[in-house]
Amino acid sequence: MSASVTVKDLRKRYGRVEALRGASFEVAAGEVFGLLGPNGAGKTTTLECLVGLRQPEAGELFIGGIDARRRPREVREKIGVALQSTALPDQITPREALRLFGSYYRERSEPAVLLERFALREKADARFASLSAGQRHRLGLALAFVNRPELVVLDEPTAGLDPSSRVELHAEIRRMKADGHTVLLATHYLEEAEQLCDRIAIVDAGRVVATGAPGELIAAAAARHTVNLVTRRPLPREGLAACVDLAAIGGEGTRLVFQTAEPTQTVAALLACVTDAGAGLVELTVRQATLEEVFLKLTRTRDAGAETTNEGGVS
Amino acid sequence: MSGFFQHFTMSLRLHRRNRMALVYGYLFPLIFLGAFWVLYRHESVPLLQHMGELLTVSVLGGACFGLPTTLVSERERGVWRRYRLLPAGTWSVVLSTVLARYVLLLTAGLLQLGVALAVGMTLPAHPLDLLVAFTFVAGAFIGLGLVIAMLADNVPAVQALGQCIFLPMLIIGGVAVPLASLPPWAQHVAAFFPGRYAVEALQACVTGPGWSGVRFDLAALAVIGVAGAIAGAKLFRWESGQRFAAVGGKPWLAAALAGWALVGAAAEWRGHVAPVAVEADRARLAAPAQQPWETVTDDDVARLDFANLPPDYGVVAPIAGPDEKPSEDMDRQLGQIESRLATWPAGRVADLRQRTLNLLCLAALPDLVQNPVERWMPGIVFDRLELSMPRRQLVQILTWIALHPEEGQVLVDLSAVGIHGVGTEAGVRERVRWYAIKFVARLTGRVEP
Repeated sequence: MSASVTVKDLRKRYGRVEALRGASFEVAAGEVFGLLGPNGAGKTTTLECLVGLRQPEAGELFIGGIDARRRPREVREKIGVALQSTALPDQITPREALRLFGSYYRERSEPAVLLERFALREKADARFASLSAGQRHRLGLALAFVNRPELVVLDEPTAGLDPSSRVELHAEIRRMKADGHTVLLATHYLEEAEQLCDRIAIVDAGRVVATGAPGELIAAAAARHTVNLVTRRPLPREGLAACVDLAAIGGEGTRLVFQTAEPTQTVAALLACVTDAGAGLVELTVRQATLEEVFLKLTRTRDAGAETTNEGGVS
Repeated sequence: MSGFFQHFTMSLRLHRRNRMALVYGYLFPLIFLGAFWVLYRHESVPLLQHMGELLTVSVLGGACFGLPTTLVSERERGVWRRYRLLPAGTWSVVLSTVLARYVLLLTAGLLQLGVALAVGMTLPAHPLDLLVAFTFVAGAFIGLGLVIAMLADNVPAVQALGQCIFLPMLIIGGVAVPLASLPPWAQHVAAFFPGRYAVEALQACVTGPGWSGVRFDLAALAVIGVAGAIAGAKLFRWESGQRFAAVGGKPWLAAALAGWALVGAAAEWRGHVAPVAVEADRARLAAPAQQPWETVTDDDVARLDFANLPPDYGVVAPIAGPDEKPSEDMDRQLGQIESRLATWPAGRVADLRQRTLNLLCLAALPDLVQNPVERWMPGIVFDRLELSMPRRQLVQILTWIALHPEEGQVLVDLSAVGIHGVGTEAGVRERVRWYAIKFVARLTGRVEP
């Protein structure tokens, strides 16, 4: 797997605030890679350093083998960027914007092709000021493709979009992948990351705290399954201690939640326990962990004061 | 190069679509022109002596307000942030923006020039030199506009900073108030402002020797423009989030100010503080070359028929004597007429002979129509004529009118100044002739005034 993007020990500071504290990850050619993290985690700063909007204090940035810190203009030739919001002069039309932006690149797509692809044909000659938020978003994406980029960088691509526009955009990102583009996107929508990305990096407090395919992250981070037990009467604690780890018990009274690495054995033991105690079983469910739980678990580590760093796996 | 050209043409196109930009870019310069015309319409060639000031005011407004307002508002909205993602250097995008602004200033200047020609101005003496000087002036002020754009964090700050430069430049910088009218201390201050060099350079190309006579001014403009452009580029901010307080390269601001200081110091050192006397092309200003009345000699004056004039105390062509005092009502009526005369266009026309003829009608018509003010108007007219030009010149013109009573237009209706009654042209001409001779008699000592 040849790396399309390499970010190594990236550091960026805004005054006294350390926005990036040694972020590192790699994106392989042809994959959709997501940067996932809460607001203020450093996702946008990472992308802005990558595309040359900000100068990092330290670290290495390579895109397609080109040092992005030393040769930013060469890198910009090869990448397409769609920022969170696209701002253009009010009086410019989508057709003119595509022609203008395309004129700066050696490789370029015809405006008509992009207008068709991003469903802007009917608004091709409308002023930017008259476009809806969704149309502006699509124009931003079209501008990112104007130079037939090897790498497409999308910052919060679906933020502020209505559900149907979001579905359209997801389909477009899948098409990018199918066309062979490498896509690097930042998002705080877990579902979006899980659906679209081949791999994700969870960013928290300026660091990458976990990297991997969504399924791998879930499997690794949530080695324990969650068991929900509802009974008619409360179970005695001493009876429970015989079948599960008491420290892993949540909830109280008739509703209990267990974390376990061995769900089959735990369920059998619990059923026996409920029968012996005559507590009366109402509900017993076993659920594998979600990306949301992985995300919350990893990002809460910061709140707990622990600093966890793990490249290529979950701590 | 393709991107540069596309951005240049797109900037022009977007400007054309922006109504407010058109108002500020083209309508305001025309309003300035109108104001200058109102002020100076009575000069022998309207506006010709003021094109330097007029063009400078327009360029100053377009470069110090128009350019930074566009740059800062686009930066505030994030447009420049998007441009930054292009594989183009800062210089490429900024230079195409600046070049488009130059074209806008040039077209506004040409529009002003065209309208000025339409209202009677003659062609500039050195049109190509004027283009060169205009380019230097635009360059200097565009450099200044770039610095303002980089200093201002938002559009209101552009307006505030622009006014801080615009108003002093107009008032004590030699732009709206001629340098010669300023006290010496203000002339020294103006030596540090680019405005005076702009006015001198442009005016020299309109009425003077061309750019060869104002090399110092052009060099001063070049220094100020280059210093401003370098400082503007070094302080360049792509994003509104980058506040000026936090941006690096502030010492470059000193470079821009150093340009002004250097120019001022050089002007002091070379004795260039006093206004440059732009020798006007006399033939151009005094069109036609010599007026016919200028050929009037003392012998012509002596030929006038002083002996057969109607007496001042009579009913034809009367003039109130020094002991005669108007009644209170009459005095009030005369006061009203005099206040109207202050803004009476016919009393300020550029052609001195016609102006004198118009004023003589103020005495002739009331006599002809027997208006009650008839005895008092000649005195008012005589005083105005005496104040308006040298005595020798006045005698020549009055003599010419008396000897050629059929020439020029006479006024047979003066209701505009509050003198009622309409006379015949022949009657007015006859009385104009009598009053002209009577006035010459007073001016040459033949009769006591």
